[in-house]
Parts: sequence; C-alpha cells; structure tokens
Amino acid sequence: MSPVRRALARYESLSLKNKIFLSILGVVLGISVAIAFLARYILVSSLTAELELRGSAIAHSVAERGGAYVLDKNSPMLLSLIFDEARLHERKNLIAYIFVTDQDGLVLAHTMTRAFPAELRQANVLEPGESRSVRLVNVEQDSIHDIAVPMNEGLYRIGSVHVGLSKSHIDSLIATLRLTFLGFISAIILITFYLSDRLTRHIIRPLSKLTRISDELSRGNFDISLDMQEEDERWRPMDCPAYADTEMPCWHFDQSARQAVGHRTCESCVFYRKRQGDEVVQLGDSFRNMVWSIKLYRRRLRESEEKYRSLFDSGPDPVFVVDCTDFAIKDANPRALELYGYEKHELLGKSYLSLGPENRDDCLLSFAGEDAPGAGDESLAAAAGCLYHPKVLHYKKGQRPFYVNVHACSISYRGRHAIIISVTDITEMIEKDAQLIQAGKMKSLGEMSAGIAHELNQPLNAIKMGSEFLALLDEQGRAVSAESYRQVVREISGQVDRAAEIINTLRAFGRKAEIFKERVDVNHPVTSVLTIVRRQFELDNIRFRLELGENLPPVLAHDNRLQQVFFNLLTNARDAINERSQPTDMGAPRLITIETCAGGGFVVVSVSDTGVGLDEGVRDKIFEPFFTTKETGQGMGLGLAISYGIVRDYGGEIRIESALGRGARISLIFPQAA
Amino acid sequence: MDKKILVIDDEQPTLNMFRLLLGAYGYETLTAANGAEGVEIFERERPGIVLTDIKMPVMDGIEALRRIKDLAPHAEVIVITGHGDMELAIRALNLDATDFLNKPVQRQGLSQALSRAEERLAIARTHKQEIAVVEEDEAVALILRGSVTARSEPFLTRAMAVARALGKAEIVLDFDENASINGAGLAFLTSLLQEARDNGDAVCIRGLSENFRKVFEVVGISRLVEPCRMQTPG
Repeated sequence: MSPVRRALARYESLSLKNKIFLSILGVVLGISVAIAFLARYILVSSLTAELELRGSAIAHSVAERGGAYVLDKNSPMLLSLIFDEARLHERKNLIAYIFVTDQDGLVLAHTMTRAFPAELRQANVLEPGESRSVRLVNVEQDSIHDIAVPMNEGLYRIGSVHVGLSKSHIDSLIATLRLTFLGFISAIILITFYLSDRLTRHIIRPLSKLTRISDELSRGNFDISLDMQEEDERWRPMDCPAYADTEMPCWHFDQSARQAVGHRTCESCVFYRKRQGDEVVQLGDSFRNMVWSIKLYRRRLRESEEKYRSLFDSGPDPVFVVDCTDFAIKDANPRALELYGYEKHELLGKSYLSLGPENRDDCLLSFAGEDAPGAGDESLAAAAGCLYHPKVLHYKKGQRPFYVNVHACSISYRGRHAIIISVTDITEMIEKDAQLIQAGKMKSLGEMSAGIAHELNQPLNAIKMGSEFLALLDEQGRAVSAESYRQVVREISGQVDRAAEIINTLRAFGRKAEIFKERVDVNHPVTSVLTIVRRQFELDNIRFRLELGENLPPVLAHDNRLQQVFFNLLTNARDAINERSQPTDMGAPRLITIETCAGGGFVVVSVSDTGVGLDEGVRDKIFEPFFTTKETGQGMGLGLAISYGIVRDYGGEIRIESALGRGARISLIFPQAA
Repeated sequence: MDKKILVIDDEQPTLNMFRLLLGAYGYETLTAANGAEGVEIFERERPGIVLTDIKMPVMDGIEALRRIKDLAPHAEVIVITGHGDMELAIRALNLDATDFLNKPVQRQGLSQALSRAEERLAIARTHKQEIAVVEEDEAVALILRGSVTARSEPFLTRAMAVARALGKAEIVLDFDENASINGAGLAFLTSLLQEARDNGDAVCIRGLSENFRKVFEVVGISRLVEPCRMQTPG
C-alpha cells in the first residue's frame, strides 16, 4: 500500500473527535502558515525597499555634500561628514558603515572602527552609468546591504558613496513578527483544540449513547433507560392506553405506509414526541420513538404468541404439526399426547403415518403433491385449503385402534412446508352409532320374529311327524318299511339342518359388528336374509326374482350389517307393494327383484319392487332420519337412515330410481375391496 | 277299503310326513301344495276328510275351506294351525271348518281328530240330526253328537224346551267326543246359554273334546256355563 493510501486508511480509522480536531487544525494551520509567509514576504520586501530608500537618500546626501570635499581632496572634512551622517540619531543602529571611493575605487574615507576589509572595496562596484547599486555583502559574519551611489560633479563621476545598512534591524523586526505569529498560531491551536473538543463532544456524546443503547437493544435488553438529553418529567410513556392494552390501536404505530393520507396521532399523544432542537436532539427523539414503537410491537407480539401458544397447548383438540417432506411429527400439543398415550419425546420425529397405517396414505401424499418441492409459493397459496377425512382408523400406543376425524391444513412452519392436523376422537360417536344400528337391528329382529317363529315351526313339525310315525308303528308293533324309514330319517336330518341355519343367521344378525371390516361376497348376506323372509313374503303372495352374479369380487364390510340393510330394503319393498295391491289381488304385480353384479371396480346390489313408488320430493328426503311415508305408528323412519349410514361407512352410495305408481329400484354401490 | 284323505300344505316335508303317518292309519293320502291345487283335487277325488294348512301362497287355507265347503257342505275340513293360534281356529270354525289341529302334529291329536271326523261323517250319512233328551236322576241331559251347526238350532231349541218342561234341577249339555261346533253353532249356543241364565236355569256342560273346550274358553261360553261336577255313568 502506498504511503498515501496508508495515511488515508489511518485517517479513516481515527475517532470522530480526532478527525475533526485534525481536520480543523490542519486547515487552520495551513492558512495561518500561508498568511505568515505572505505577511513576512510583504513585510520583508517593503521594509527592505524602505531601508534602501533611506540608505540611498543618505548616500545621495553624502554624495552631494561630500562632492566638494572629494574634489578638494579634503579627507578630514569628508570623514567628519560621513561620521556625522552615520552617527546621526537613530542612524547609528541602522548604518553599519559609510565609505567613499574615488573613480579608481580607492577608499577616500570610511567610518569603520576596524581596519577596512579589502574585499569590501570590490564587493559592490558601481558601474559607470549606473545611478545606484544595491548588493548584499558579508562583512565579518554580518550581512550588510551595500548601497552605492555615484558622486557626480556635473556630468563626471568623481567617486561613489557606499552606505552599509545592517540587516539586523530588519532581522529583528522580522524576528518580532515571527514571534508574534508563532504566538498567534499557538493561541489558534489551543482555541481550535478547545473548540473542536467541545463540538465533537456535543455530537459524540449523544451518538455514543445511542450506539450503546442500540447495542443493548440488539442483545434483546429492552429495559434500559432512554434518557437522552435531559430528564423529561412530562414524558411518561407508561400512561399511554395503547401500550397497556394491546387490543387498542396506536394511531401513530398502526398507520399503514400506503395509507398515509395524513399522518394521524392522538390529540395528546403521550408517547411520540418531537422537540425543537438541532439534528442531534431530533435524532435522539426519533430514536426514542423508534425504541418505544419496538417495545409496543414486542409487547403485542409476545401477547399474541402467548395467546396462540396457550391455544396450542390448552386446545381441547389434539393437534399435530407434520413436516410435508417426510411426514415426521414436528410438534404435538398436550391433548394429542394424552389421546394417543405417548410421551412428547416419543412422538416427535415419529412418522405420522405410523399412527394410522390403514389411513388412506394417498390423502396425505396427494396433499404433499400439491406443494411438492419446486412448486413455489403460488401453489402453496392455492393449496392452502384443507382436507377433511372422517372416520379414519388410528392407533394409540400399544396398537389399540380407535376412530377419529382428521382435518389437515397446510401451513408454513419455520420456513418449511408443513401440515397442521387436527384430530377429533369420535370413538364415543361411533359407539353411539353402533348402538343405534344395534337398536335398529333389534327392531328388525322384532319384525322378523313372526316370520322366524313360522319358519322354525315348519321343520319342527316335520321332525315331530316323522318321529310320531315311527312311534306309532312301534306302538302298534308294526315294522317300518325300509323306504319309509329312509324317508323319515332323511327328512328329520334335513329339517334339523334347516332349523339350525335359520338360528345361525339369526344369531349372526344380532351380533355387534367387529371394529375391523371383513371381505364379504354380497350374495351371502342376500341369501341369508332371504332364508328368513322368503317364505313369509311368499305367503303374502310376493314373489322373488333373483339375478345374483357369480364370482363377485368381495367388498370390505360386515356381513350382518349388510343383512340388516337388505332386510330393511326388503321390508320397505314389501310395504310398498302392499300399499299398491292386496295379497289377495290375483292379477296384481307383486314382485321383488334382487340383482347383484360387479363392474368398473364396484359391486352393485339392486332391489326393485312393483310397489307404489316414490315421487321426486320424497325421493330426496327418504334417507333422513325420522322421515317416513308410512302412517303414524307404522314405522319410526330410521331404517333407511341407518342403512344409508352403514353403506356410507363402507365407502358406498345408495341410488334410487322411482316414479309414483311405478315401483322403485334401489341400488347399493360398493367399492371392491383392494 | 282305503279311505281317501286330502292334505293341503305348501311344505313338502310336511306333506311327506303326513303321507307316511296317514298311511299308517290306513288312509290313501292325496297331497296338494296350495289351496287352488287342493280345491282342484277335491273336486276331482271327493275325499271324505281334508286336512289343510292355513298360510299358503297363491290361495290360502281359508279360501280353500270356503271353496270346498261350497262344493260339499258336509265335507270334513280340519285346519292345521300354528301352535296355540286360537283366533285362526275360530275364524275357520266360523267358515264351517269342523276341527283344527295344532302344529307340531302329534299322533294322538291326529288320530282323535281323524276318528271324530269319521264319526261325524257317519252321523251325517245316517242323517241323525236330532238331539236326544235323556232323563237322569237329578238332571236332564241333552245329547249332542256330530256337527252342531245352524241346522241344529231348531232341534236344540225344541230339546231345551222339552228339558225345561221336565222341571229337573239341572240341564246338562252332554257333548259327544266327536261333537264339532261351527261358528253358527257357537253363536246360537251362546245365545241359548244366555237365555237360560236369564231364565234362571241351571245348565252345565259335559264331555267335549279338548280342542272345543279351548274354543269355548276363547269364545266366552265357559263364562256362561260351568262343566258338570258329576260324571254320568256311560
């Protein structure tokens, strides 16, 4: 680095005080020195000129008066003349010597007390024709101005007069001047020092105070005192109502920059102030205002953070925060820990999918797909909607299953894409649901009971009659023919099987459903229900037409719940048919058609009847609980509502095609089990 | 001679067992799976006794009963009812069914019903509609046999008058084991007994098959009259 650059660098790194001091000093010194030199030059030159003038005047005077003596060769008179001239009053100090020379350069008279130095004669030679010659000569270590003037007699030069003026006079004058200037400059330096010190102090002190305060603030310590210039008793920011109550807006603070139509403040703002004063004072005031704004903001932020932290911690619903990229649980609130039975450290970092493996993973993954890396903020905003998954199976600690509703929304958590998941425990609701279904089932069982009694009576009767036959023959001592024997035995056995089947179907029907679904061929519940009701319906002159598909793919459901649904549909069909015609009407169409088939990833079961049908208004409401087209007391209107709920549980849907007077066709569409 | 009997029931196993059992009692069994078929066969074969189930598809037992009675008013039609279903039995009786059987069918009940039916047939053949009035020590007995129907009414009324004229302490209505009272019969019996009570006559009932005892209970006759305390010899 060149010395200039180094010097500049050194200069840059000086403190402000020193900088100002040095700068001012430099400038002032420079100017002073310049002035000094200038003054000296002017003075010296003018003094010198002045002296020369005086010297030449003396020399001329001597030349005038001494001319005659020189012509007369009157040396004593000449000598006394020049001595008089030399010694006259103040000239004593000024004139070092006077000597006269003739035209040959011989010294005619001189005033020196010492021997006349030889070199002096030739030191300042007056050329012929020159009116004056001034030269600085050195006589015995003294600098003397030698002024030579010709001595003329008429036009002829008869000699020259040399007057030597000592420089010491001028020198002492200059010395005095120099001293004065030095003193002056020293005074200036001192004054400058003092002034710059005062000035910088005035600036530096508030600045370094501000710096100190800023350092404290940047370290998070907001409680330091903000006294800047002086104590100001009128300034009590704690009195501001907006500070104490974070709900209240502060006009000054809450201005949106874009809306700055006119900066508004409270009429008597306790907080923000601007005093009249110089820039340093104003800086101090603005800084104070800024710090208080920060305090206000921090206070609001802390309150908000506390509020939301308490919402998260004390929230009544379990909440998880799950990272989008690897589905690791980033946070969980205490209610979630309670519900799932884990400790916090066990849950953090665990994969969310491990809590619900049968949960449709695709839902979360499709969610993640919307804000996949590289998708950008726009898609996140678009996908800032939420997903809702009802009745999802989750596992508590120890692999205990239970049902929840899952509500997931995307958020940004610490700069990463995350999902916030709220989980609602619906175990109680599911149990109530199950109880309701069970109650509906009991009602169905009640309805079935007449039919069941009749159905069981038939096999019992056949068994009884067969055994009565054998007993009779035995009583009468007759032998049983082989054929008859075989018939009886076969019949008894067959009828027992039939009765057992009915009883089994009944028992399965009454059982509460397991929590896990099973793979069910829909034909099975259809035939089970028919076993119980078919005969009864046929007694009512209702015929069945069955078109059951073969090798149907299974659906995920519960067998006995499907039976409940089918039973409900069949009783509704029977009731509809009975509304349209009587069992004794011979020609009336009294037909129920049951079809099952599969296609397109679905399995479809349809129950069609030739009953009274449903018109449009009723068709939409038929699944509502407690809605019934039957007369009062004939039904609660819950059967279809429960059936609807059961079908929806298995991911299926119910469709109705019907018109008034034209019967109805109800289709149940189930997704095939994977 | 193989007596012919028609069984109408929609349950094939039941028909099979009936065939065996009735065969053991010496009957030639005709079977029909529903009422319409049954009426058709009856018309063709004219069996003496018909056993019919009530709840059947196409045509139920009640309708078949009506049709058969139209064809042959004296036909013995025994309805088979579900266990303890008295309402249905009485409804059938109102339509001139002559007896009823309970399911599950026991051989004792079956054989009794069959023999009663045979007796009634015999009585009907011999046209013995009259009601005998027999004098006893303390009471006078009215012997009722076979079918007690609307036709019996004038006879019974006359017999009652005769009995009352005798002035005995008690009037006994002696039902034979084979007595079958149809709806009409029940109706006029009820009015008869009410009249007797109003008159102040002491009337009691004797005999009667188990079935009809139950019927009397359900119909309310048991409230009007008590069973006789003493058994007559013979």
